[in-house]
Amino acid sequence: MTLPDRSTLSRREYARALVAVGGATALSACLDMSSGENGAENTVPSGTDDPDSLPARQYAWNEFATRDDKGNVEPPAHHVLLPLALTERATADGEPTADARETTESTLRTLERAYEWSTDGLLFTLGYTPSYFERFDEDLPEGVDLPEPAALTSREDPAFDEFDALLHLASNHPEVVLEVEEGLFGDQEEPERNGVVLESNLIEVFERVDENRRTGFVGAGLPTEHTDVSGVPDAVPKDAPFFMGFRSGFDRTQASEDRVTIDSGPFADGTTQHVSSMDIQLEVWFEQENHYQRVSKMFSPEHAAEELVGDVGEELGADSGLSDERIEATAADARQEGVVGHAQKAARGREDGDPPLLRRDFNTIDGDRPGLHFVSLQHDIEDFVRVREAMTGADLDVPSANNGILHYIFVNRRGNYLLPPRGLRALPAANPDA
Amino acid sequence: MQDFTRTTDETEIDRRTFVAQTGAATGVLALAGCLSGDDDEEDGDDPDAENGDENGSGEDYGDGRPTIEVEDPPNAVYLPTHREAMRMLDPIEAGDMMLGPMLSYPHDFWTIAGSGEDAVERESPDSGRGVHMMFTLWDQQTGTVLPVDDGVQIRVYDGDEQVGSPVSPWSMISQEMGFHFGDNVTLPEDGTYTVEVTIPPVSVRKTGDLVDRLDERVSATFEFEYDDEFRHEVIGGVQYLDEAEWGDRGALEPMDHGDHGEHGGHDGHDDHAHEDEHDDHEHGDHDSHDDGDHEHDHGDEHDHDSENGHNGHDDHAHVPYSALPRIDEYDGAILATADDESGADGVPTDHDSLPRSDDAAILAALFEDGSADAERLADDGEGDVTAGQYLLVSPRTPYNRVPLADAALSVTVERDDDTIVGPDAALAETLDSEYGIHYGLVIDDTQIEPGDSVTVTIDSPPQVARHQGYDTAFLEMPPIEFTVPEQ
Ligand code: HEM
Ligand SMILES: [Cu+2]
Repeated sequence: MTLPDRSTLSRREYARALVAVGGATALSACLDMSSGENGAENTVPSGTDDPDSLPARQYAWNEFATRDDKGNVEPPAHHVLLPLALTERATADGEPTADARETTESTLRTLERAYEWSTDGLLFTLGYTPSYFERFDEDLPEGVDLPEPAALTSREDPAFDEFDALLHLASNHPEVVLEVEEGLFGDQEEPERNGVVLESNLIEVFERVDENRRTGFVGAGLPTEHTDVSGVPDAVPKDAPFFMGFRSGFDRTQASEDRVTIDSGPFADGTTQHVSSMDIQLEVWFEQENHYQRVSKMFSPEHAAEELVGDVGEELGADSGLSDERIEATAADARQEGVVGHAQKAARGREDGDPPLLRRDFNTIDGDRPGLHFVSLQHDIEDFVRVREAMTGADLDVPSANNGILHYIFVNRRGNYLLPPRGLRALPAANPDA
Repeated sequence: MQDFTRTTDETEIDRRTFVAQTGAATGVLALAGCLSGDDDEEDGDDPDAENGDENGSGEDYGDGRPTIEVEDPPNAVYLPTHREAMRMLDPIEAGDMMLGPMLSYPHDFWTIAGSGEDAVERESPDSGRGVHMMFTLWDQQTGTVLPVDDGVQIRVYDGDEQVGSPVSPWSMISQEMGFHFGDNVTLPEDGTYTVEVTIPPVSVRKTGDLVDRLDERVSATFEFEYDDEFRHEVIGGVQYLDEAEWGDRGALEPMDHGDHGEHGGHDGHDDHAHEDEHDDHEHGDHDSHDDGDHEHDHGDEHDHDSENGHNGHDDHAHVPYSALPRIDEYDGAILATADDESGADGVPTDHDSLPRSDDAAILAALFEDGSADAERLADDGEGDVTAGQYLLVSPRTPYNRVPLADAALSVTVERDDDTIVGPDAALAETLDSEYGIHYGLVIDDTQIEPGDSVTVTIDSPPQVARHQGYDTAFLEMPPIEFTVPEQ
């Protein structure tokens, strides 16, 4: 493993680069850096000994995040998605053993003791694929919609997440996600945080599927720190939280956590998660199109004509400025304007005016190319499929290049997961009530 | 553990160590003038002089990239400053389709997303290192060029390593290449590159021999060599027009079929006099023509036998040019222009007498119920075929008959004070194996009669990127009123 070159990178770039590399050396470099800055060991708030004080929903993150001055949730800045495959010794007759469950649960509790459940500490979810649940004789209970992932558009040929589980780690502190990963899977001495040694036998239960490990970042200013990566042009606006240059995930264009929650059965207080990973073509986006065209394609032609957005979305408040009329006019815009916006199109997937998806996507430069890991929570995977169809807009009379942002995104992977409630997060059976 | 590889000088050097393979190139096609390679055209200041950066760093085309500034171009199709030269590669199969790759130097073009001024943007490549990568796609069975944007993707590889992000090439029109897909692609270094093209199902409404076909996602791969020789060819092959002609109304002749197209603007003869005498654009018959069929009647200095020894020309005659059929190839009734005196009773009889909307020539034809054409055009393989008349509207470029795809058109038919069709009934963009891309409507619940007025409205102009010379036309397109002629 080679560490990034400290001398050529800004502090934040360096931290991001370390998260992408991972591992013990990256961690110690990251710790050196964060303590070196202000002379003192940096502080991450510590967690709790009382698991019952934590929310039943693994994805209860919003309450534990800050909000911007418009009331929009500010997502954690640094992310790692750890793909996990059950080891043979964690199963007996194909099913997970009680020991394996115990190890998994106690590991996660260790994390909760070490870090506050917040964006300033650590937030995480552990989700399970349809492949994982296949090992059980029973089916998932009625009311849990978790199909195998599938290609969702005619232009894509994605690989699928067919390993067992996905641990999503998120924090505003890059060293937190790093040291957690290191504590769980590293072969070095266990890191210590807030008096808690991150010791764990999780490697007895899970193997990390290295080639599908994914990392990323989101937040104003972070994307422009990667203009050194080929494919990330200098033209990415400085204040943009996302590579494509606009704010996203407004309070009123996101589903609430309640909205995506499974409300009955053994997996009540769980939800489903879709994770897709895609390349983004940023050079063409920024160098061959102007701001007017970008706003037309990202929001709607009306947003462009009426200058509703501002540079990066700062003119918008807690929603994306889409009136019901503008959403309904999508098909008409396709013909009359020759272009439709991504937001406008996707909003056609709302139900009774409510967005069904809670998007927790983040930027990436995995593979040394700009991309997006699109993490979305919804009651049913079917909700995602429906909204994605609305976004694809095959029904719209508009050329592909002007069909929102389809021209710019290239889906490589898809995976579907069940995020069980916290009480069942450790290797649940397909039907725990059976 | 994944590697964090930053682009360093070291990796750039590594990229150059691939084994040079024989590229698939079969030669440079110098455009219609057939002046290739090193020959200097009399009016050309040698654009090649500064070119050929030996160590592959810096601006590979240097100051040698052809100038394209045209002062005050008209709001119409106009002559650019020069003819492009390009390297044509052997066409390759992609499922039922063929793909003909063409490579030139990175150059300006215009993207469009809407119709107003703000919706048009000029792309000026800031890195001279790379290629303008283009390809034409056509159906092997019918020869139909596929002029619609359904989301084609390209990925460029240097060995196993992917170069840059994937790209969705633009659908574009150019006077010389007609409809094609293309974009400027930056390349880090000289070398042999592999390009993987994936083509999604063709989702536009299809009729004739295209019904239920081209429904699979397919892909194809080609290789090319990027080096001094390539740059030399594509810059050296550029031919400037007389500066006095830059920006004149007119268009360069299509390259493939050659010869002098419909006019030869650079020779100073009347551009419009040559319309339709050029007959080698037989639709669906692209493979069969040979030079013998061409009309070599210009007799100017650019008569082009392959005497220059470049091997481009004849080898590539099989890459079809996307010209639409000529007016007399439509079996239906050509609608009359309401206020036009040309032709008998205002019925256009040749390409030149078609009405124009922002310089697009608009052909409208009505096919009678029961005719073979109407039946074919009504049947797109989806559900019941409803018999009826078929109204076809076919906008095309004013000189080369390049289809103007990916627009939205609607129609209103009136008789006295009654609205017979519409108002503003949407026409469906349709790809027919005989008449190519057009906008059509099956008239099944009423009957259009002689004397009816047919107003075609362009709701949004063709959303295709444009090479120079097409950038100021087909943008703000007024409606055209036609009249159904007496039999
Ligand atoms: C590079 C990829 C993407 C970028 C940059 C992006 C960006 C945006 C932006 C700027 C908005 C408008 C602001 C907002 O409402 O949050 C938006 C809305 C939305 N996007 Fe995306 N998006 C991307 C991919 C996707 C994908 C893959 C989906 C999958 C279905 C999606 C679904 C949505 C939805 C559901 C909305 C909100 C619609 C509503 O208001 O109801 N986006 N996106
Ligand atoms: Cu082009």
